[in-house]
Amino acid sequence: MEKMIYRQFRAIVVAIILLATSSNSIAAEMNIDYAAASEVVTALHEKLMYIMQHSDELRYQGRYNEVKDTVNSSFDASLIAKVIMSRYWKKLDDTQKIDFIALFKRLSVATYASRFDGYSGESFVEMSAEMLKKGRLLIKTELQRTDDDPVKLDYLMHQKEGQWLIISVIANGVNDLSLKRAEYATVIKDKGFPGLVEDVAAKITDMENQDEE
Amino acid sequence: MINNTMNKLTKILLLLVVVGVFAGCAGSQQKSAASPDPIEPANRVFYDFNEGLDKHLIKPIAEGYVKITPEPIRNSVTNFFDNLAYLNVILNSFLQGKFDQGFSDAGRFIMNSTLGIAGLFDVATPAGMPRHNEDVGQTLATWGVGRGTYLYLPVQGPDTARNLPNIATKLALNPLTYISGAILFPITALNVINIRANLLDATNIRDEAAVDPYSFTREAYLQQREYLIHDGNPPTEGYDDIFDEEFGADSDEDSVLIIE
Repeated sequence: MEKMIYRQFRAIVVAIILLATSSNSIAAEMNIDYAAASEVVTALHEKLMYIMQHSDELRYQGRYNEVKDTVNSSFDASLIAKVIMSRYWKKLDDTQKIDFIALFKRLSVATYASRFDGYSGESFVEMSAEMLKKGRLLIKTELQRTDDDPVKLDYLMHQKEGQWLIISVIANGVNDLSLKRAEYATVIKDKGFPGLVEDVAAKITDMENQDEE
Repeated sequence: MINNTMNKLTKILLLLVVVGVFAGCAGSQQKSAASPDPIEPANRVFYDFNEGLDKHLIKPIAEGYVKITPEPIRNSVTNFFDNLAYLNVILNSFLQGKFDQGFSDAGRFIMNSTLGIAGLFDVATPAGMPRHNEDVGQTLATWGVGRGTYLYLPVQGPDTARNLPNIATKLALNPLTYISGAILFPITALNVINIRANLLDATNIRDEAAVDPYSFTREAYLQQREYLIHDGNPPTEGYDDIFDEEFGADSDEDSVLIIE
């Protein structure tokens, strides 16, 4: 009887040790991954703070040039473009795919340059991180404002060739990727792929021109 | 007069509760249906109607109102109407079992109605009673009722079948509903203009970003509703499902082009 209790006790101890060791290694792994991913988000935020604080002297084109490299190196534009295009992606030939990814990159940079066009005491704060399935990571941040509620900005990230890249931004629960997917599907249905390219290019031109008004 | 209004309201309330709940239940069963917008043609008709009304009448007035009215006054107008509409929030906080929040909301209403001079000033937020966003649609969602059909309503804008009964409770619980006479029109007009003015930034961002404003509005509205239902902390489970769909990341990695 005592032997049996001893065996059970030993099994429980071994199980606890194993569990503790494995969760430690997960935590360690998470810390390493988290730090590298967090750096990508922090670098983007620092660049956005810079263009906000210098928005008047930079004007639209200056903000665009400042933020371009950081946005291009932080986002996995090819994957985002593919997910947004969804079932239409396979219908495109390689040239159309390459052109669309390039257009989408321009749209992303233009949107940051256009949207972050002033500063009134805002700051970015990282709140928490969470591992999702298939090695994806969610970094939760806030854009804190002096005179209004903070905007929650969640960054969904994945690793490609050892590099952490942003694959989706969710602002106060609204996922930009889902919005674009729904919109683009409607435009393709009405006007075809060339019509979509034309409309997206027109949006970029509108943003460029808005500074001149 | 008041009795008549109450009778009408009771009928509307009952009708909307029945329609809304049934539509909501139907939605629950059809959750996996492919289309997020089964009555899109009808919705688009109302969308175009609202956009026309907005473009030619309401938006220009709202822009004029912002130009001539100092921000502190506009804030007080917003506070005043928010406070009058707050009984609906209190009811729904309790219906969702958020009792601490419900008592805080009730305290907020009393404090802003008295010390805040009929709600013109929000004195409750600095006193630790923040504003919450609750309605019947959110309550039904926490009770497990499905979203139901996406609706684009004339004048009101985006909504879901599950939230339809909120139109009735919002009216029944707003003291303005029981006011009659000449003052009602200017007060209602001010409310509409002020609501539109507060949405100017959001609609300008939409107009700047959207290639199809109708789809943009629908997706943004539905996602924002989920966010509100979970009080700003939606579950992260399923957050990245979009990358695992048939044409997502892992199904066909080869077709993702890499360009520099």
